[in-house]
Amino acid sequence: MLRIAALLSLLFLLFLTGLGPIIWGDDALAIDTAALAQGASAAHPMGTDGLGRDVLARIMVASRLTVGLALLTTAIAVAGGLVLGGLPAVLGPRAGRLINGFVGLVVAFPGLLIALVLAVVFGSGGTAAALAIGVASIPSFARLTQTLAASVAGRDFIAAARVLGVGRVRMLYRHILPNIAEPLVVQATLGAGGALLAFAALSFLGLGVQSPGYDWGVLLNEGLNRVYINPAAALGPGLAVVLAGLAFNVMGEYAAQAFGGRSRVIRTRGRSSRPAPGPALRVRDLTVRYGDAVPVKGVSFEVVPGERVGIVGESGSGKSLTALAVSGLVEPPGQVSGDIEAAETAMVFQDPMTSLNPALRIATQLAEVATTHEGMSRRAARSLAVTRLTDVHIAQAARVVRQYPHELSGGMRQRAMIAMGLMGTPRLIIADEPTTALDVTVQKQILDLLREVSTTTGAAIVLVSHDLAVVGQLCSRVLVMYAGVIVEDLPVSRLTAEPDAGDGPAHPYTRALLAAVPDLTADRSRPLATIPGRMPSPLDVTGGCPFAPRCPRADSRCHAETPAFDGAVACWHPHTTEHVLKEESR
Amino acid sequence: MTALEFHGVSVRLGRGRRAVTVVDDVTLTVPSGGVTGLVGESGCGKTTLARAAVGLVPLSGGAIHPRSRVQLVFQDPYSSLDPRMTVGAAIAEALPRRTRSDEVSRLLDLVGLDPALAVRLPRHLSGGQRQRVALARALTARPEVVIADEITSALDVSVQGLVLNLVREIQRELGLTMLFISHNLAVVRYVSDHVAVMRAGRIVESGPVEQVLSEPADAYTRTLLAAVPTLRSAPGA
Ligand SMILES: Nc1ncnc2c1ncn2[C@@H]1O[C@H](COP(=O)(O)OP(=O)(O)OP(=O)(O)O)[C@@H](O)[C@H]1O
Ligand code: SF4
Ligand SMILES: [Mg+2]
Repeated sequence: MLRIAALLSLLFLLFLTGLGPIIWGDDALAIDTAALAQGASAAHPMGTDGLGRDVLARIMVASRLTVGLALLTTAIAVAGGLVLGGLPAVLGPRAGRLINGFVGLVVAFPGLLIALVLAVVFGSGGTAAALAIGVASIPSFARLTQTLAASVAGRDFIAAARVLGVGRVRMLYRHILPNIAEPLVVQATLGAGGALLAFAALSFLGLGVQSPGYDWGVLLNEGLNRVYINPAAALGPGLAVVLAGLAFNVMGEYAAQAFGGRSRVIRTRGRSSRPAPGPALRVRDLTVRYGDAVPVKGVSFEVVPGERVGIVGESGSGKSLTALAVSGLVEPPGQVSGDIEAAETAMVFQDPMTSLNPALRIATQLAEVATTHEGMSRRAARSLAVTRLTDVHIAQAARVVRQYPHELSGGMRQRAMIAMGLMGTPRLIIADEPTTALDVTVQKQILDLLREVSTTTGAAIVLVSHDLAVVGQLCSRVLVMYAGVIVEDLPVSRLTAEPDAGDGPAHPYTRALLAAVPDLTADRSRPLATIPGRMPSPLDVTGGCPFAPRCPRADSRCHAETPAFDGAVACWHPHTTEHVLKEESR
Repeated sequence: MTALEFHGVSVRLGRGRRAVTVVDDVTLTVPSGGVTGLVGESGCGKTTLARAAVGLVPLSGGAIHPRSRVQLVFQDPYSSLDPRMTVGAAIAEALPRRTRSDEVSRLLDLVGLDPALAVRLPRHLSGGQRQRVALARALTARPEVVIADEITSALDVSVQGLVLNLVREIQRELGLTMLFISHNLAVVRYVSDHVAVMRAGRIVESGPVEQVLSEPADAYTRTLLAAVPTLRSAPGA
């Protein structure tokens, strides 16, 4: 609501700025000698001034100068701030520290004070005042630019560009500025509101716009002199200043929300919860679309309570999207269709830093889960948080809960994420590459932890990973995905069996994947086995088996007809295993 | 050809009293045209050593040679690409202007990506696809020494194999000197001739890869070996 009101008033303001003087310009100058300094009347809704000019028309006309000067001021502040704030990045560390120190010093002075001093120095008049306020706001913009630039400068892509020899200037405009533009725009919008108010104040004090020019501040001053005769003449410009200032501010806030509001919130739209008995997860014909691209094409599977299922497949096969869809986390424009019935779910991501709020202490984030979902008291929730952190083998949990996410190591963050999942009573834990960012020793601990959690709480686990060895270590059953579909569903024992010994996976793709895993006995002199060719992209419409172009067993039928998934494998010519046949006949 | 040499390298991070020694007196030579693997747990200083070699962090002691034509491929494909730059622009950045589009296509193809992806932004790619872009980008500068920091930890096996073969092939063909950092011992063993084991900022053991992995002298190396997940002896089965 507020947003629409702000947008409308901003549009109205821009309209006035553009057309006000054209529409009301003559009225504002017309001197009505019959009506000097009058109160409100039908002919003059807000009365007239000392020369008999219509006050309302003058307010309308003054909006151009007022808004124009505010924008000029903001432009000066932003341009100066960008230069001063960006220089450290361009000049290098030593000069940078000097500039930063200087900016830090200047920021400590109140802006309005500097503006007043500068206004005296620059002399009176609209442009001089704009310069004064603009220059006075440069330091705070510079500080903001610096802080934002510093946070971006710490990211790997900046380091990567530096190693490649990208120059500092190019770095600034090509890599740093585009990545900090959003908060700067927000700040500039807010700054424009502030400038408008500051300007009105200066003009009101006689330091800003000088007659015969007039902005709202001047009108306010004139009106205030006769406030007992005609209150509208003072209220009008005053109200205009306040409304315009508010409009800029609300717009700024809204922009901040729109830009910054991408934080992940666990939502459960598009999936229904199920009470305990029955499968922990049942997925029927799950499809995910992005426009013409269909990265997940009708996936169906079930997971029973306590079961640990791995989803493997190449990059882009749709395994992460399947996991996200199951958790109700696919964001628009992604469209999810199909049936998902899932018990209470906890999600663990590859990078816990993106799913933990960096601004909140661990205790606050963990406790929030229990207070909002389980209706627990704050106190009880906090002590439960400590218990859960201890459960996931975090030493000194009582101390750790008071820390912020960035103060924890990667392994600890991942444990904290799992602990967060355990604050409720999940029947299903979905972990997307939970150990990919961790080294082997920590990886093993996290996998052991997940296994322990599933045995002690009976929660089912769906583990998404590109690493077959990791899946082999934790899971009992594996789903193999290729180009958005499940091509094989097999027990881990078949995955880990020697394929040559008459056992092993039935689908040629699963076998190819296995052959590509290097282990400590691989022949170093030979190239690693790879799968030639590329997986079809989600945009490709594939007739026939999607794996056919890369499959050593493919024949004409494979290229023409798509094999259906029969519950175990989707292939016309699966590797039959005598062992399995024997089992079945028994 | 150039060998990559670390002479008594130390790196302290942080300022004043809060500074900690992250890399502690490391002496290591990656022979010219050879591949040396560097293993160790997270936080032991592998990445810092790599960053020091390309001048991203200052040394507090010792020396590294050479100081130019060294490229680093980063671990995290989610943050090593500018989110506002298309794949093509990211790769083209280090290329001379006239060869750009041909070269971009060639490099994308080299790392197993569809050249049509050049117009996409990183956020439209999966993790594995992004890492391949990062790899292609490092190769644009035609480096003599390449440091690969956990480059395959985000890749799936088929691509990992492709990339490892590619890395070996390119390394041999161009005679690249390579420091290959990974926590995956099987991968390190496959790619490297020599291996160095790092713990808490120090090199605790180094030598020919077969020897170190089959007869580890240091207790920590044995711990690392024991933690390698293997398919054939999976305990979950
Ligand atoms: N927001 C999006 N817009 C358009 N396409 C997308 C989007 N997110 C994912 N995709 C596409 O969907 C396909 C599947 O993506 P997904 O993340 O599920 O792959 P994955 O199997 O998890 O791969 P990886 O092992 O690399 O993580 C990819 O081709 C990807 O490019
Ligand atoms: S259906 Fe044919 S092409 Fe597809 S995997 Fe089976 S054998 Fe290969
Ligand atoms: Mg994924």
